[in-house]
Amino acid sequence: MSRRWRTWQALDITQISHPSRHRRTELQSPKAPRRGHGRPERPFRRESEDAILGGVCGGIARRLGVPTRLIRFLAAICVLFGGLGLVIYTALWICILRRDETESIASRIVSRKRETQLLLVCGTGVIALLIAADAVGLAQGSNGLSWVLGRFSWAVSLSCVGLFGVWRGASLDEKLHLQELLNSAPIIGADKLRGWKQTVARAAAGVALVVVGFATVSKGGVGRYGAVHTLLGALVLMFGFFVLFAPWWLRTVRELTSERRDRVRAEERADMAAHLHDSVLQTLSLIQRSSDNPAEVARLARIQERDLRSWLFDPVAFARRSGAPEQLTEQIDQIVRDVEESYSVPVESVVVGDVPLDDAVSALAAAGKEAIVNAAKWSGASVISSYVEVEDDRISMFVRDRGCGFDPASVPADRHGISKSIVERMERFGGASSIRSSPDSGTEVTLTLPWQPRAA
Amino acid sequence: MTDRASPRVFLVDDHELIRAGIRAELKDKVTVVGEADEVEAAIELILERLPDVVLLDVHIPGGGGQAVLEAVSRQNQNVRFLALSVSDAAEDVIAVIRAGARGYVTKNISGDELVEAIHRVAEGDAVFSRHLAGFVLDAFTGRTIDDSSSRETADPELDQLTPREREVLRLIARGYAYKEVATELGISIKTVESHVSAVLRKLQLSNRHQLTNWASQRRLL
Repeated sequence: MSRRWRTWQALDITQISHPSRHRRTELQSPKAPRRGHGRPERPFRRESEDAILGGVCGGIARRLGVPTRLIRFLAAICVLFGGLGLVIYTALWICILRRDETESIASRIVSRKRETQLLLVCGTGVIALLIAADAVGLAQGSNGLSWVLGRFSWAVSLSCVGLFGVWRGASLDEKLHLQELLNSAPIIGADKLRGWKQTVARAAAGVALVVVGFATVSKGGVGRYGAVHTLLGALVLMFGFFVLFAPWWLRTVRELTSERRDRVRAEERADMAAHLHDSVLQTLSLIQRSSDNPAEVARLARIQERDLRSWLFDPVAFARRSGAPEQLTEQIDQIVRDVEESYSVPVESVVVGDVPLDDAVSALAAAGKEAIVNAAKWSGASVISSYVEVEDDRISMFVRDRGCGFDPASVPADRHGISKSIVERMERFGGASSIRSSPDSGTEVTLTLPWQPRAA
Repeated sequence: MTDRASPRVFLVDDHELIRAGIRAELKDKVTVVGEADEVEAAIELILERLPDVVLLDVHIPGGGGQAVLEAVSRQNQNVRFLALSVSDAAEDVIAVIRAGARGYVTKNISGDELVEAIHRVAEGDAVFSRHLAGFVLDAFTGRTIDDSSSRETADPELDQLTPREREVLRLIARGYAYKEVATELGISIKTVESHVSAVLRKLQLSNRHQLTNWASQRRLL
């Protein structure tokens, strides 16, 4: 059983990760109605808005492209067949994902051991009870009441177990929906608590039910269908107590749910506050201290921006940062950071593809760093662009600035920056380098390194 | 550039300071016809004032820029969107482009570049930042993803870049302006623009699993 749930879940995750697919169909034909009549829509989801209970009917309707009301009507008819509709509905409620959620109720329950055990115990208990009732012939009489009981007892009890599961496994959002549903229910709903008339009405209804229940139970046990009467009396009694205490119970549950949500939020906030303190606040105080030095302020702000950006948008790279780089992208990242910190010039880096570092690739990165440093030191450009692309047969790196440019031929022979660190280094690994520079369009250094993807 | 009609621009951003900054940058160069700081108000005002270009922040309360994009384009497809975001994460960029934005620029763009980008979008062309160009190259041709599993798409045409398109994108990623790209390749600016628009179309319509997969993997890997 659990395997089927898993595949269901896996299926849904793949679909969730391509939300753009069905979104696009909506974009292309903006006049198509969003739900209800019209085209069938994939994937099959329980509706979160067009829902009375679990949104199953709404979901089916949208999947088939027919009005929701029709499906609801059919479902109601289905219920008449020995309660079959109830069981199917509950099963779908549990197994199908709610729209915009990533986990179904079933997978949520299966993933939590305690919930699974609880539900198994309940389920087994109810089934045992039903079998026992069948065995004593409780529900096989020809009298009207037990006929109805016999017809529906299995379906109703099984769906009750299912509903219990729904309640335990529903997402916070869906729980809120269910609470609202209960709150707005007649008599037992908490919303009706307001106003003394409702309170009186509820109390009266509750007390009446309790009294009737007691009466039935105490009088039961006579005649052929005595057991049925006793059972029924017990049910009425329980319902009476439920009516009396429902608002109190509902309120407790609601407080518990919202308390849990608040706690989760508070933890997130504490995490974030800790990070912001360590990074942003520290930098701000540094900036205040060096407020008379604009270059230093700009440098600090840029470092902080880079740090915050990668924390916010690229958490994986942020976590990876501590160790020595193993991949080309990490190496380039580090070079960019180093240059920005030492020379106070922003370097905008774009990297396409990635390879593990080896001697040749490291040499390319080192030559690239030299080019970036040169641009930062001499060009006077306000920003340096670096672009690295891993292609099928080579790796290229381009370093570009829009600065003052220079004449490569006029560089004195004793300056080794370009000849040793760039040209010769690239040649040693079978690569090539070229420099293009002019006063009006700045300088671009191109580095290429032949490279073969290693067979894995 | 001066004789072009001044486009009517609408700002959507939840930060008052940013809006004020953008307004100051754009003053005299375009007509700002309105602004909004959340999704509902934005949709309503955009549909009422019908600007040429909407400058859209990706992260706004109430569903994000994508919600605005989808709601507006469902009713009116003449309004064009230029996404403007502080985030340059692949996920955000690809998502908002796939939702129908004509371009994506980060907030550290200079004022002149922004005006240029607005004009370009107003005229129906696409605006690719260096990062976006890099993302597209990576997603369509990069070696980071094993793409043996995603070959069964309906329209192979949409799933590949032509060699020319790759060249154009590569130059943009290297930091070339459209004009410089045109000179470098010996073609007209109009041709560069049409290449970029073609890429944008592929980016929006391609069924390739890779795009979304790729974007989310970049975050997860």
